[in-house]
Amino acid sequence: MNRILIVEDEQNQRELYATELEEEGYEVHQAHNGEVAVKMVTSNKYDLVILDIRMPEMDGIEALGKILSREKKLPIIIYTAYSNYKSNFMTWTANAYLTKSSDLTELKETVKKIISSKSR
Amino acid sequence: MKLKKILKIITAYLADAVIILYLITSLFSEHNGSVVIPASAVYIIAIILLVKNIILIIIHKYKFLDKIAVILNILAEFKKGNFLHQENNNQRNDEMSNIITELSVIGKYIDNIIIRFKDEIQILRELYNNIIFSISSYLIILNKKKKIIFANDAFCKKFQFDLDDIYGKTIDDIFLFVADSLQNSVIDIYKYKESIILEKTHLLSRNWISVIADIKISNMFVQGEEQIVLIMDDITSKCRKDYQINLISQVTGSIQRDEEIHKILYTILYGITSGAGLGFNRAMLLLLDPHKKYLKGEIAVGPDSIEEAIEIWNSLPAAGSDIAIIASPFDITNGKGSRLLEKVLSAKFELSSDNIFAKSFKTLENIHIYDSWNDRSVDDNIRNFMDVTEFVVVPLIVENRAIGVIVADNKYNQVPIGNDHIELLSIFAVQASLLIESYQSVSTLKKEMAKIKSRQEAMIESEKLAALGRISSHIAHEIRNPLVTMGGYARRINQMAEGNEKIQHAAEVILKESIRLENTLSNVMDLTKPQALMKNLNNINDIITDTLGLLKNVFLDKRIFIETKLSNKIPLIHLDSNQIKQVVLNLIQNAVDAIPENGKIEVISGVNSQNNGIFITIKDTGTGVERDNLENIFEPFFTTKVTGVGLGLPIVQRIIKDHNGDITVKNNDTGGAEFTITLPYVSS
Repeated sequence: MNRILIVEDEQNQRELYATELEEEGYEVHQAHNGEVAVKMVTSNKYDLVILDIRMPEMDGIEALGKILSREKKLPIIIYTAYSNYKSNFMTWTANAYLTKSSDLTELKETVKKIISSKSR
Repeated sequence: MKLKKILKIITAYLADAVIILYLITSLFSEHNGSVVIPASAVYIIAIILLVKNIILIIIHKYKFLDKIAVILNILAEFKKGNFLHQENNNQRNDEMSNIITELSVIGKYIDNIIIRFKDEIQILRELYNNIIFSISSYLIILNKKKKIIFANDAFCKKFQFDLDDIYGKTIDDIFLFVADSLQNSVIDIYKYKESIILEKTHLLSRNWISVIADIKISNMFVQGEEQIVLIMDDITSKCRKDYQINLISQVTGSIQRDEEIHKILYTILYGITSGAGLGFNRAMLLLLDPHKKYLKGEIAVGPDSIEEAIEIWNSLPAAGSDIAIIASPFDITNGKGSRLLEKVLSAKFELSSDNIFAKSFKTLENIHIYDSWNDRSVDDNIRNFMDVTEFVVVPLIVENRAIGVIVADNKYNQVPIGNDHIELLSIFAVQASLLIESYQSVSTLKKEMAKIKSRQEAMIESEKLAALGRISSHIAHEIRNPLVTMGGYARRINQMAEGNEKIQHAAEVILKESIRLENTLSNVMDLTKPQALMKNLNNINDIITDTLGLLKNVFLDKRIFIETKLSNKIPLIHLDSNQIKQVVLNLIQNAVDAIPENGKIEVISGVNSQNNGIFITIKDTGTGVERDNLENIFEPFFTTKVTGVGLGLPIVQRIIKDHNGDITVKNNDTGGAEFTITLPYVSS
């Protein structure tokens, strides 16, 4: 079973994504900010990280750098309500940059695509 | 002498007496018989003596008559006023001669008296003449038939007339132009008890001498004969000075009023030519063309014929004090001088050629042509163009370079162009030059200012947009987060409530609305980063109907009456339906916010008048847009709503611009706002 880490400060959203992705057959862990996420990535093995950008304590951009410095090959999807962070070159290191939507189809498909390409 | 005379008389009569005495004694001595003389001889002698005496008496009588004739002659001479006569040398010591002598003495005496009076009369006459002749005023006297019977020296000198030439002529005979007022006054003077004074009257003689005068017309009776006295005070030079000062102040005034360049140039030319008898008859302005190859006619003022000239002179006060009445150049002329203007406007004079205009332009000198027909420096082209004997060319100089020339003449009254005229022209040439130059620099300045302003506006705009980007992305984030949560859960509810349509429908509504909001958010972001439009062929009416459907509950809630007038002739056009829906929605939402309960919103669609696109008009019965805000209404973050962000209309404008369309706003008759969108059929 592929393990996904969702990094999101909004609890409701986090739980929604978790529920939906679990239904897709993934094992989903949750982190409520970047700092927690960096810790979890070092102690656990994940197949994919879904990362919000704007969060308290440590934001997604900082977390992105820290995660990648530990796990260079860990796929990361940036999933944010900001559309303009696409221009921040840090986000280019992520595998995908998606704008949040109530429709999770896009997210699910991207997750599926990344995980399947990784397992090949 | 006396003794001689007595002896002479005695000898003459003594002879007769002796003879008679002898005869008588002879008659008586017949009786004595001593001396016998026949009686017949006595009778003969007596008859001879008688005859002799009769002859003598007749001779005396004749001599007496002769004397009387002399006396009569003298008396006749006296009557003639000739009191001195040649004294008769025939000295005779008779009574008649004495009388004649006495008469001569009387004559001499009278003559002396008369001579003495004559001197006094002469002095008086000289005094009188001095008064008449030394007054600078022009004086003419007309008889009751309005014919000239006297003109003083000043008059004759000024108008170069000989008194004999004008004697018996009317005013019309000697003047080419006389103001109507003068004509009428001369005709009607007998109606008035007092003199009439006509101020600043223009007179132009047949020999082209022009004068402005204050004219006093009075009636006088001489030996029962009516006579009219005209005293003219020549105020030409005073008027000219007034006129020049007036003109300068007028022109300066109009320059300060920052009027249109053409109007001021017209004022200058009009000024030069106004003031009948003071200014020029015609004035033309030629300016250097932008390519600096030729002088091009710019404006001209002047009548087309002597008749027009007279009409203009008659309608204007001579002193030209009223040049301020110029409202519009073409009001004044009433179409007069249109041929001149036309001719000048189409005139071009090559600078490369050697014509007189180009010469003045190049040398920066005034050129005075006295006789264009014979002056070799005038070429045929200009000769024909001017069609006048004398004219003057004055360059318009700005900072030691010419920008054009003013040409002026006296085509109609042929008054010689004096130095003062040229001086005046030069003054106005300077004024005109400065004016043209400053106008040109002002317009350059204005252009530069406009450039700077538009650049500045662009900078402000981009700055605003940058700020807009920052703020909108922040807002978007803050809204999108809860939104996606809501939408996501609604989706879940929808899935979980399979079989329960009511719940599913409720969830769908939430979902649909959140999707719309998400789209709005995307559009806000798009303000800074426009996305490619998703254009398809769409019917605008469908978009309007869909959007109105979305807001149905709002309308019901606020009791808003919606009226649609959608044209069924609208063709399908290429547009992004979501974005246009956004536009319509925003505009209707604004209308809803602006109107009170029971208000009305009108939505109209149709093909625009040029038939190259369609239009949508959204009218409301609200409070309208304040005039001051009409300009700002499309600016980002401009809002009059308490809860508004100020992005609705900028977004609308952005979308319409992306569709190559246009949006305008105005307040309609009801006072409410009226937005009109136009979209072209073909949008690239």
